[in-house]
Amino acid sequence: MFGLASPKKLRELGIVGMNKRNVKYIAQNNPRHLYPLVDDKLKTKELCRQHNLAMPKLLGVCKVQSNVNELEGFLADIPQFVIKPAKGSGGKGILVITGRDGEDFLKPSGAKVTLSEVKRHVSNTLSGLYSLGGKPDVAVIEDLVVFTDDFDGFSFEGVPDIRVIIYKGYPVMAMTRLSTHASDGKANLHQGAVGVGIDIATGHALNAVMNARPIEQHPDTGKALKELKVPLWQELLTLSVQGFDTTGLGYMGADIVLDKNLGPLLLELNARPGLAIQVANGRGLEPRLALAEEQSRLHPDRSAEERVRYSMEVIAPL
Amino acid sequence: MNSRKQITYLVLLLVGLGVSAVVYKHKVLGFPLLANQTETVWDLEAKLQFEADGGPVSVKVNLPDPNPARKISFSKNVSPGFDYKEIEEDGARYGFWSSEDAEGPQTLYLRVQTYFVDEPQITGDVPTLEQPDFVGVQAEAANRYVENLQQQTLDLDGQVKQVLADINSRANDNMAVLLQDRGERSEQMALAVSLLAMQDIPARMGRGIFLADKKRKQSAVFFLEVFDDKQWLLFDPREEEQISWQQVIIMQHSTEPLIEVYGGSDSEFSFSSLKQQRPTFKAAVDSAAQDSSLFVDFSIYSLPLAEQNDFKLLLLIPLGALVVVVLRNLVGIRTSGTFMPILIAMVFLQTSLLAGLALFVIVVGVGLIMRSYMSNLNLLLVPRIASVLVFVIIIYAAIGVTSHKLGIEWGMQVTFFPMIILSWTIERMSILWDEEGGKEVMIQCGGSLLTAVLAYLVMSNEVIADTVFLYPEMLLILLAVIIAIGSYSGYRLSDLRRFEPMQKL
Repeated sequence: MFGLASPKKLRELGIVGMNKRNVKYIAQNNPRHLYPLVDDKLKTKELCRQHNLAMPKLLGVCKVQSNVNELEGFLADIPQFVIKPAKGSGGKGILVITGRDGEDFLKPSGAKVTLSEVKRHVSNTLSGLYSLGGKPDVAVIEDLVVFTDDFDGFSFEGVPDIRVIIYKGYPVMAMTRLSTHASDGKANLHQGAVGVGIDIATGHALNAVMNARPIEQHPDTGKALKELKVPLWQELLTLSVQGFDTTGLGYMGADIVLDKNLGPLLLELNARPGLAIQVANGRGLEPRLALAEEQSRLHPDRSAEERVRYSMEVIAPL
Repeated sequence: MNSRKQITYLVLLLVGLGVSAVVYKHKVLGFPLLANQTETVWDLEAKLQFEADGGPVSVKVNLPDPNPARKISFSKNVSPGFDYKEIEEDGARYGFWSSEDAEGPQTLYLRVQTYFVDEPQITGDVPTLEQPDFVGVQAEAANRYVENLQQQTLDLDGQVKQVLADINSRANDNMAVLLQDRGERSEQMALAVSLLAMQDIPARMGRGIFLADKKRKQSAVFFLEVFDDKQWLLFDPREEEQISWQQVIIMQHSTEPLIEVYGGSDSEFSFSSLKQQRPTFKAAVDSAAQDSSLFVDFSIYSLPLAEQNDFKLLLLIPLGALVVVVLRNLVGIRTSGTFMPILIAMVFLQTSLLAGLALFVIVVGVGLIMRSYMSNLNLLLVPRIASVLVFVIIIYAAIGVTSHKLGIEWGMQVTFFPMIILSWTIERMSILWDEEGGKEVMIQCGGSLLTAVLAYLVMSNEVIADTVFLYPEMLLILLAVIIAIGSYSGYRLSDLRRFEPMQKL
């Protein structure tokens, strides 16, 4: 149960540990002044709008407590929406509403949420409950993504997203996070979502893990996870890579969802992407990062499409 | 220069500076390398219990006279609800507690740590002899007793021992007469003083405690002090022999009162003593200070003792920080709040480990239960934390009162916990519970406590504490280690665990 891997073996597999991620990849590639661009979702949205990156539509922003009382009128005509803290981390404080039941709102699980609970949620968000360091925050209300049917049966509730790690502009590893009953419609691995490694070359599923243990089938739907294939894969990778061109963050994670009508949408960017993606892929990041580093040095002028093609052909098999 | 190289040079520079300062102090100034030379230190605790009548209360306790040969390294008064000060009256020192209003059972503590630097000598001018006023049969018996004693041509030491032996055995006929109305030990000692005075030997009664290891609930006992030539000699009346001043602490002489309690009754005064071997490096510091060495002149040793003790505690904090750095960055333990464990460890230093742990678990546990109700109330962040703070104070008060009523004295130590930090801990834990479940709370709580306990074990280790106090330059080496860990990019222990399933792929 409490087995430990040998450091030698992990090095051979090219696994990146927490310290290496922090010291080498994050500290050396992500200048501090760029963090607010991705830590504040409102800023990310504004930046992406300027660069024409596809994102879920921004419906409104709750900036001060007095806005909270205007919520009832504002939300009256909006059946589906997502409320997020602009400076949240780790998926905290995201409220997904998929419908109405009379006066009440419905969560993806079917649980009812009253208006006053929604107001409290927003009020908590404003007072900084979900933000990094407890700083005052704003609540972002955006359109609920109309999710593509391609993943039916792979996700229990809510919207599965695809996380792509981008290093110096090259997509190096990807996974999708499938929400489960246990994760309450949220796609966070440490909240019990399933992580499925996705082949950079094809968009096909590789491995699947839940709570850091390998699994074969979705725990709620029973569907074989190996059959999962992400459509519009190249388009999706190109969108994720553009996140690097917009922000300049050398090591980052792009979270992308697939909308039925709009195709890939950039959900958010992350300056400190986690390392569980290695377990989901059954591969270490190190050799891919080394190759991307070399390529970015040798060919600084490659376009997003060229880098994506390079990754699909050369980096993916590593 | 890239940051990697800078770090290497900085680490080498810091280690170089630290090591050369340590070597200089060791080789040139003669500091011991490890603070492992020991001396005996006595931990004394005086405990006064009484029943307050409900009104103004004042308590006066006679304190030992200052003695150049005996140093006090630590003194602390623990008596919630009472003001404490030291006063001097008629040449005697008193500890004085007062309270405007106290009712019910009260317990006052005075803790002192003391050690002898020399064989103490109590010198003084020749005291004036007070001739006793025996009357009737007693006067006759006293005279006869003294005559008999003088015929034995004993030296001073022998005479004193003979008197004490006769008092204890009651075998001597004359002594038996004299002891008839003297049942109390104090009266018997007064008798010995009188009989010695009749032989022109100045003597007086002393009252104090024996310094014995691990003695609890001792009460003050009587001693006989006899003046010989220039100095006072100390006799133990029970064993009828002369003893060294190092074996006892005399609280009170002849006529001074030991304790006076106004506004209370049923007072009970007891002492505990504990012997400890403690490293000594005072000599090195003192001699270096006499040579006006810059290292000592401009160091924390030049501060008054009380401030030195403050710094001694401050110097421990980097050690705690090192423990946190190691556990978080090398082991990968998750804690609630980065340096909260250090603060908790410092509380453990003041309470004790088990009491501190128990109190922490009680306060946070009860706080979480109270806070869980607040989740429904839709409060804004700051008022909510403020409410948790009020909860915490109420829990403190409840623990204090309950433990006091139950006679569990360590319960009072709950006040050592920093309440703001605990409030934030409870708040964070509560949110964590709502969002990630009880398991994550247990992991972080357990991680914090484990870190706090390890930090406590390092910080409470006296050899480590004294060595750092002896060589504050070691902080530079410590800083180098922390910086080096800060640039360590190898695996954490938690990585080895987390990526263990990947070995099989």
